[in-house]
Amino acid sequence: TEEEEKEKKEGRHDEDDGDERGSGGGGSRTMAAICDPTRWPHRIIVLSLMCFLGFGSYFCYDNPSALQQQVKQDMDLNTSSFMQLYAWYSWPNVVLCFLGGFLLDRVFGIRLGTIIFSLFVCVGQVIFAAGALFNAFWLMILGRFVFGIGGESLAVAQNTYAVNWFKGKGLNLVFGLQLSMARLGSTVNMNVMGLVYENIRGLRDGTGYTTLGITLMIAAATCVFSLICALVLGYLDRRAERILKKEVCSTGEVIKLTDVKDFPLSLWLIFIICVGYYVAIFPFIGLGQVFFIEKFNFSPVQASAINSIVYIISAPASPLLGFLVDKTGKNIIWVLMAVIITLASHMMLAFTFWNPWIAMCLLGVSYSLLACALWPMVAFVVPEHQLGTAYGFMQSIQNLGLALIAMAAGAILDSRGYLFLEVFFCACVCSEYSSGEGLVFPGGELNLSTSARARLQKDTLSHSE
Amino acid sequence: MGATGSPPVLLFLSFLNVLSAYAFFGGGDMYHRQVSMEFNPGFNSSQTPPLSVNLLHVRARGENDTLHFLLCSQGAPALLVVHTNTSSSSVKVDWSRFLSDDVSGSVKVEPKGSVRYSSALVFSRLWEYDDVNDTADPAKLPPSSFFPPYELQNFTWGDLNRTTNQIAHRAKLCGSDGSERFFNGSFCLGFSAFESEGRDGSWPRLLYNANSSQLKFWLEGVKERSNFSRFLLELQYVGSSNLPSRVETLRSIDDEYTPSIFQVSQWVSSPPNATTPILGYVQWKPVAYRKATPALVDATPCRHSTPLLMEQLPPSGLVLAYFGKGYEASGLNMTFSIAGDPFYNTTHYLSWSMLVGLGSPPTESFSPLVITIMALGLGIPLLLILLGAICVCIQKQRSGPRGYVPIN
Repeated sequence: TEEEEKEKKEGRHDEDDGDERGSGGGGSRTMAAICDPTRWPHRIIVLSLMCFLGFGSYFCYDNPSALQQQVKQDMDLNTSSFMQLYAWYSWPNVVLCFLGGFLLDRVFGIRLGTIIFSLFVCVGQVIFAAGALFNAFWLMILGRFVFGIGGESLAVAQNTYAVNWFKGKGLNLVFGLQLSMARLGSTVNMNVMGLVYENIRGLRDGTGYTTLGITLMIAAATCVFSLICALVLGYLDRRAERILKKEVCSTGEVIKLTDVKDFPLSLWLIFIICVGYYVAIFPFIGLGQVFFIEKFNFSPVQASAINSIVYIISAPASPLLGFLVDKTGKNIIWVLMAVIITLASHMMLAFTFWNPWIAMCLLGVSYSLLACALWPMVAFVVPEHQLGTAYGFMQSIQNLGLALIAMAAGAILDSRGYLFLEVFFCACVCSEYSSGEGLVFPGGELNLSTSARARLQKDTLSHSE
Repeated sequence: MGATGSPPVLLFLSFLNVLSAYAFFGGGDMYHRQVSMEFNPGFNSSQTPPLSVNLLHVRARGENDTLHFLLCSQGAPALLVVHTNTSSSSVKVDWSRFLSDDVSGSVKVEPKGSVRYSSALVFSRLWEYDDVNDTADPAKLPPSSFFPPYELQNFTWGDLNRTTNQIAHRAKLCGSDGSERFFNGSFCLGFSAFESEGRDGSWPRLLYNANSSQLKFWLEGVKERSNFSRFLLELQYVGSSNLPSRVETLRSIDDEYTPSIFQVSQWVSSPPNATTPILGYVQWKPVAYRKATPALVDATPCRHSTPLLMEQLPPSGLVLAYFGKGYEASGLNMTFSIAGDPFYNTTHYLSWSMLVGLGSPPTESFSPLVITIMALGLGIPLLLILLGAICVCIQKQRSGPRGYVPIN
């Protein structure tokens, strides 16, 4: 997902903040500011294009969740079939997380690669909508599969563009903005799709699945918009390369599968924490709307709003919490705190009737906190030349976990109901809390404050001379 | 962390204590009854029976009390519950009067003074309404939307004797109004009596005990009168005039046995003094199912109206035969489905279950699996913290006190 990529890049390019990208040959004085790749009006345009690049993908990713009741009723699905819509998004990414960087660097190049992945996203969503129009569930699954091929790799491409254009010139801000746009896409989707469906249903008298198909086609318009952004961005990037004579920037990832055997135990524990955490968040949001309607007697509009609060909170909270974690260090303590808060939130939702807004806000905060604290930890336990493989592996098993648990969550809900599902999520969170504790006691570099870490690095540097 | 009798240990041990107490003592009613069923008690076969006389007497005998259930299809189908304080009470039916026009007093429970509590649940009418605007709110619809109701007292019923299962203590009563709409369909009531505590196998998987019986109503294969038909069931509860009845809706966090249903409704009769316990109840979960073997998507919510006092006792032969002065009926409507749910003509099936019984309604509790998972999930990290703290302490002890070591 988005923020994981951000953390990766921040971890690696922090040192480069200082160096300026030269304006390298290319007369810029005769061009208007808005056409000049070195001047900020043009860069603002490029920045907004980059942000909207991912908007369509994030908007359409959570379409099933926003229309959960409608999809289940119109296509006559039980929950485990419904969750396959999420599982099949994750399956291709189990493999693609390794290949994405490689494809972008060696095979397609950044520009063509972005356009191709955007095309996959667009075509996937259209096939998904067509499946609803023709009442063919297998077609919907195929659509999600194709959508998944494009979705995650598009995030990698988006980050590469950002580094290419903004390295050394406010890269962190750009990453923050891209993340916020992604979250904005998810939020708008949650709150708007239900209303769109109702409006379409009011306009026409027909079978449910046709209404669903039309609604999803309208959602595909955002993907077309993102595709147009990709095309324009590709053109502008080629033009800037021609004008500024820049070198082609790579994703910077080198994937070597043989590095896996060298991974230390603490890295495997980090993997467990990562999987255990995200499988307790995303499938829950996927199934959340009906949970809030049934248990807390919310209206569908309210239920969609509360389901989107996690995304709304993470947009502003991520940069703030990232700053906090960067300043204080001691990542593992933050991770454990995030896990405890998530556990408390799930237990509140499961075992009490307290206002779920509280629990969901806590969930949003802990979700942002974990993203800021967990992903940089990989850089502390793994040498630089293995980072690409480590991150690729982490995303790969994250997607594998999401695919499996999405289906399991659907099956659990169908047979045992929401309490048991929440207890299951609590169990996932507890198991990664145990892994987190496993990281604390061996001590080591994960739990150092920033100053201690800096001192340690200085010591190792001085010793190596 | 010096002292090992530290807070986390105490917390964990107390948690285990609570768990074991709960597992051994809590959450269960171990009361046991012996159930026997007889059909048309005391009926002399020399008298020619009209076809639709069905009187099933179920006796659930406890150690020193008896619970009598009488299910009858004479007039509107009714379930009569009588609780006596002796284990040797019996039901006496004056058949000649029971089969005549004046039935009052023809059903008695002997010995007379042993009756502690009696009540009855009657199914009086089935309404069908045309929900063209898909609101599922019949209270707001004009009378023209309602089709003429099915008066259950005018239905012809099947033979209860043939559909009684003596071993499983079950009986099925199915009837139709004889019109072409019921040609392939029926209105059925399924009755089950229980000897001890347990849980029903199929949804809504109500928790029952020896003091309760289960009634399942289902409407199968009936031809609907419009494409937007929905149904509404009229129920009447007969009880003593001193015991007002009310419907309580309780919220529960546990939906393990009825996924996505977090409420349970109880129609109780209790004395005006709030501290004394409830004497009898009809309990249900506000969900009906649109298929015989439902999946989660076949569940549809149902709502009840506020019970209203009826002017006279319902037109059920059994009720009029047993209850005399001092008893009154209150009635409510159960509406099935909400706006947006599929209509009856999609599956031609609708079912709803309830428990009718004595005393306080059974209360749900967590399943052992949930408790185990939570205990392990919370306990293991605490245990790890404890172990880690102990290890750190031991390490510190082993490395010995640091102090100034003189050179010579």
